[in-house]
Amino acid sequence: MLSKSQAKAFFLIGTAAFSAIFIGLTVDTFQRIPDQTNSSGLTPEVIRGKHLFDKKNCMGCHTIMGEGAYYAPELTKVFERRGEAFIRAMLKDPEAMYPGERKMTNYQLSDQEISDLTAFLKWVGTMDLNGFPPKPDLVKIASPSASSGGQSIVKSSDRPNVFNQMCVACHALRGEGGAVGPALDGIGSKFERSYLEKWLKDPLAIKPDSKMPKLPLSQEEINELAAFLSTLKEGE
Amino acid sequence: MKFQSQKVAYWFFAVSMLLFSLQLVYGFIMGFAHMGYDGLHNIIPFNVARATHTNLLVMWLLSGFMGAAYYIIPEEAEREILSVKWAYVQLIAFVVVGITAIIGFHFQWWEGRKFLEIPRPLDYLVVVDVLLFIGLIGGTIWRGKKYTTTSLVLFFGLLTAALLYLPGMIETDHQTHDSYWRWWVVHLWVEGVWELIMGAILCFLLIKLTGVDREIIEKWLYIIVGFTFLSGILGTGHHYYYIGTPRYWLMVGGVFSALEPLAFLGMAIYAIAMARKGNKIIDNRAALLWTLGTAIMSFVGAGFLGFAHTLPQVNMYTHGTLVTAMHGHMAFWGAYASLVLGLITYAMPLLTGRKLQDSKASIFAFWTSNIGMTAMTIAFGIAGVAQVYLERKMGLDFLLVQKEIEVHFLGLVLAASLFTLGIIAFVWNFIRFGGPSGEVEGRVV
Repeated sequence: MLSKSQAKAFFLIGTAAFSAIFIGLTVDTFQRIPDQTNSSGLTPEVIRGKHLFDKKNCMGCHTIMGEGAYYAPELTKVFERRGEAFIRAMLKDPEAMYPGERKMTNYQLSDQEISDLTAFLKWVGTMDLNGFPPKPDLVKIASPSASSGGQSIVKSSDRPNVFNQMCVACHALRGEGGAVGPALDGIGSKFERSYLEKWLKDPLAIKPDSKMPKLPLSQEEINELAAFLSTLKEGE
Repeated sequence: MKFQSQKVAYWFFAVSMLLFSLQLVYGFIMGFAHMGYDGLHNIIPFNVARATHTNLLVMWLLSGFMGAAYYIIPEEAEREILSVKWAYVQLIAFVVVGITAIIGFHFQWWEGRKFLEIPRPLDYLVVVDVLLFIGLIGGTIWRGKKYTTTSLVLFFGLLTAALLYLPGMIETDHQTHDSYWRWWVVHLWVEGVWELIMGAILCFLLIKLTGVDREIIEKWLYIIVGFTFLSGILGTGHHYYYIGTPRYWLMVGGVFSALEPLAFLGMAIYAIAMARKGNKIIDNRAALLWTLGTAIMSFVGAGFLGFAHTLPQVNMYTHGTLVTAMHGHMAFWGAYASLVLGLITYAMPLLTGRKLQDSKASIFAFWTSNIGMTAMTIAFGIAGVAQVYLERKMGLDFLLVQKEIEVHFLGLVLAASLFTLGIIAFVWNFIRFGGPSGEVEGRVV
């Protein structure tokens, strides 16, 4: 059996050896980070955004690269998932975007600050994170009908991009999407295309007590969305 | 107690009790918010509650460790603390900085970096305060009659903990660098040098409680802390899987994280073996319960649940979900919270001269808090696994999944209520002990 001095030697030598390996790996890692993380994309805007992200303690509710708190959505790929317009609208007035849902503090950010944060989130999305966040891989088994058009709704190419980024945050279609507002299946049978256009332009002008906010949509996007929505007939 | 100056420890323990109680309040705020009752959102939004909850944990544990050092070191070194006056100054400074930080969080004065939210100007004060503490403890050992393994391991643990606070202060504009250095502090604390502190305190308790020969216990201390560093240093790699660092960390982190439970398993086996070997008449059953409790719960929470969650294939899906909260709660409870509560239970009758250690409230506190924490871990686990499958595997919307798992937070809040009942009993018993007597005994049982 080991004597006390041998045990001590085991502790000291082991600690020294593994500390040395760890420091070596750290040096190597720092040399590789720039390539892996697209460090050339670190513009002054992105850097300001990163510090603003820290200053507001966004990590206190959200995760980024999987790190943070578990109260609000993961933000690593949010730029790809929701698009710039949605992120900007959300940062401008969080409670309008998810009425009656879990609340995000309105930080009264300036337009410049919103641009910085958006740039930061866009940059984070370009990093190579060794496969994180993983793509959902069970959806085919869970709802075969919904997946016929592709892996998930984000991938569905028959839908306008703005629909896949913005509308599904609150509304579901064919069982996929949010549950904040009503599902959109069959909406084309209920409303005329012209009505949908007016609605998308400003929901509150038609129905002042509506929970749906006026979204930052261009006329082109409104036309595209209304055309798409009016094809969603009942029984299809 | 053997030395007059050990009395200082009492006040550190009292601060621990206060901050711990406050920590629970913020835990409930978050539990209710997860259930959909976020009525305090405008005053204490979730990120404030979260920063406060975790920082209070760190503060009350550090206060407990400092108290433990002020209690243990005089006995081990066989002399009074270098300067009792400066020890009180150190305590007061610690409390002032801590309370300022906590209040600051409520006004968004923070850094917004998970676990290291304390703002930079206060960081410097923390460093100064810890230097003073290290100086007092180191000086006491240096001038002491004896250098014991226990006191040296404890000192080495405290010193490296202080040094490892520094990487967290490196300025960077890069999210990956930021995260990389942050884990040097957080991981190398809790899965590295804090385990030295834990090992040394556990060692002290076992020597005192079981009567087993010091040489045997201290030999095992070296082996266990040896295993801790062997696995824990490169085990940091499990934080470097998905933050923009090279792929080899998946291998390094995976292998060495899998070894990490060994140190905790060693600690558990050693504590149980020594307790069985001991032939001393136990006059503080509660302290022995906490000692065995910390050894076993740290193996389950930090060792086993940590292992289950850090395999790269699993972590790809569980990273950044409530599964982390499951592991985190039981790991901190087992390894560090129970340890500090155990040392307090051991020291209180000796500090105050009142024998309330085995009172009904004290035994009730042990069992109720441990059962409560186990139930909390299960609730977090169910919510976390459900979240992993619904959100990560099936791709359902985040908020939709959160609604789906709200019910498990009802379970969590109920379990947390049971846990809180246990802690109330502990604090109540602490208060009943009264203040330190200042009486120095010739021989401590």
